[in-house]
Amino acid sequence: MALLEVKNISKRFGGLLAINDVSFSVGEKEMAFVVGPNGAGKTTLFNLICSVFHPDRGSIVFNGNDISTISPDRAAKLGIGRTFQIVKPLRNLTVLENVMLGAFLHTSSPAKAAAEAVKVLKFLEMDSAMHFPARGLGLPMLKRLEIARAIATQPKLILLDEVVAGLPTSEALRLAGLLKRLPEWGISAVGGVEHVMQVVMKVADRVIVLDHGSLIAEGTPQEVVHRPEVIEAYLGAKYRKLIHE
Amino acid sequence: MSGAAKKKWEAITIVAFFVAALLVPVVVRADYTLQVLFRVFLFAALGLAWNLVGGYTGQLSLGHAAYFGVGAYGLALFSKLGAPNIVAVLLSMVVAILFATLIGAVSFRLRGPYFALSTIAFAEVLRLVAKNLPNVTGGDVGIQVPLLFTHASIISFYLSAVLLTAAVLGITVWIVRSRLGYYLMAIREDEDTAMSVGVNATKYKLIALLLSSAFTALGGALYASLFLYIVPDQVLSMDISSEVAIVAMLGGAGTLIGPLVGSLILESSAEVFKNIFQEAHLLIYGVLIMLVVLFLPKGIVGTLMQKLRFFKSPPQAPFAAKPPGELNNEPERAAIGE
Repeated sequence: MALLEVKNISKRFGGLLAINDVSFSVGEKEMAFVVGPNGAGKTTLFNLICSVFHPDRGSIVFNGNDISTISPDRAAKLGIGRTFQIVKPLRNLTVLENVMLGAFLHTSSPAKAAAEAVKVLKFLEMDSAMHFPARGLGLPMLKRLEIARAIATQPKLILLDEVVAGLPTSEALRLAGLLKRLPEWGISAVGGVEHVMQVVMKVADRVIVLDHGSLIAEGTPQEVVHRPEVIEAYLGAKYRKLIHE
Repeated sequence: MSGAAKKKWEAITIVAFFVAALLVPVVVRADYTLQVLFRVFLFAALGLAWNLVGGYTGQLSLGHAAYFGVGAYGLALFSKLGAPNIVAVLLSMVVAILFATLIGAVSFRLRGPYFALSTIAFAEVLRLVAKNLPNVTGGDVGIQVPLLFTHASIISFYLSAVLLTAAVLGITVWIVRSRLGYYLMAIREDEDTAMSVGVNATKYKLIALLLSSAFTALGGALYASLFLYIVPDQVLSMDISSEVAIVAMLGGAGTLIGPLVGSLILESSAEVFKNIFQEAHLLIYGVLIMLVVLFLPKGIVGTLMQKLRFFKSPPQAPFAAKPPGELNNEPERAAIGE
């Protein structure tokens, strides 16, 4: 059975149908990436999966539990970790303390949480910065901090919202190399990426393409990038014809 | 300097400070001075209790007079019903916790300034209720409060205030070093982030408020017992709410000894200014607060700690570690977004 099953969910904000009848599933240790142009509904989809929003229609089943109407902290306890597109570090706490906060989900001992946090920080190659307050970090480090905090909760599934957006290509690719190793931690991931296709091609087992809230294509990265609907969504109808002639 | 050695010295300093504070009445005999010192320690304890909610959890409560007043009126009313003093004090703490649960359940649904405004509203409602229930609270005429100690000596009150301060400080230390403390600070820094790692923000905010309200009520009972007579405009007034918050913020909200330092400075200088400037002392008070907000926004202790601890800046290009091998030959192509 799939780890995450999204069944026919829709979400409307006033006059905008942000997510329109979307269904897909993610298996154990699978790396799925949701791609789509700006405004396609990626962040809304993530907020629905980690229960910040609840779907108007349809259901989300995670690890056998219906999570359509639970609270975000409950979702975290069930094993859904997340990173925020606009980074949300705890600015006045140190890097280590930021990651310890994730580790506290499974232990109430600060010493054990710190040990766990150091392990995660080493994996993400940012242990040299662990005693500095998070407010002094630059964006590449903050993006990694988001991932570290989520990994420390020992999730089964991690939602990476625009995890490489705004990073220089070299750093984006380095991070992609690390993300590829997430299954070593027993973690599946759903990444969301607008247009850094190099990362998607490298890391994703499967790609889900959203456009205007609807799922328009699904498949391996190689398959999906040649689909005419996908080219049209990104480049417009003119290029769809151009490329397929 | 190792962290453990530093912590040891901090602990020794704090213990020495409280031992010295307990020995003050041996040297100082003047009732007036002890009364000022009582106020210093009482407001230090109240500031520390407020700090759990307003400082560590970042929920700006401007209605702590509600719990202070419940403590004061609780002692008066329960002992009027025949409860022994100690039972009356404990019962008034329980009632304060009940009020805190009620107020928290409503107010914590709001964030930022809306939360602060709702706490003021609850405290004001309590004050108006106390004013308008003459059969129960005595209304504006007031109500008698029993003496908590066998002698009407200021020394007992002073020592109780010192012990109360030490107790709240001890509990704060314990909280800050436990998971609870990390959770409270996480909620202050970013509630959404806290929830994303499984922190039930509403529950932990409420825990902080319950602890805070119980100690505030205890402080209120102590204060009321010193005066032996209370009226709503005294123990349920906005002045109490704002003074408690200002004490903590002046010293440094979210720091361990900030409220203690804040109370030492504010309460003793307020007393001095009262003598020199008489009615104009409130003006000095106001100027002092403005100066702190302008130049020491993190409070005295907060600003000092920041200067001492974080003068180094973190490494901005820390990726000395090799990137994963498979990526070494990767051509770094066009910039993102092209």
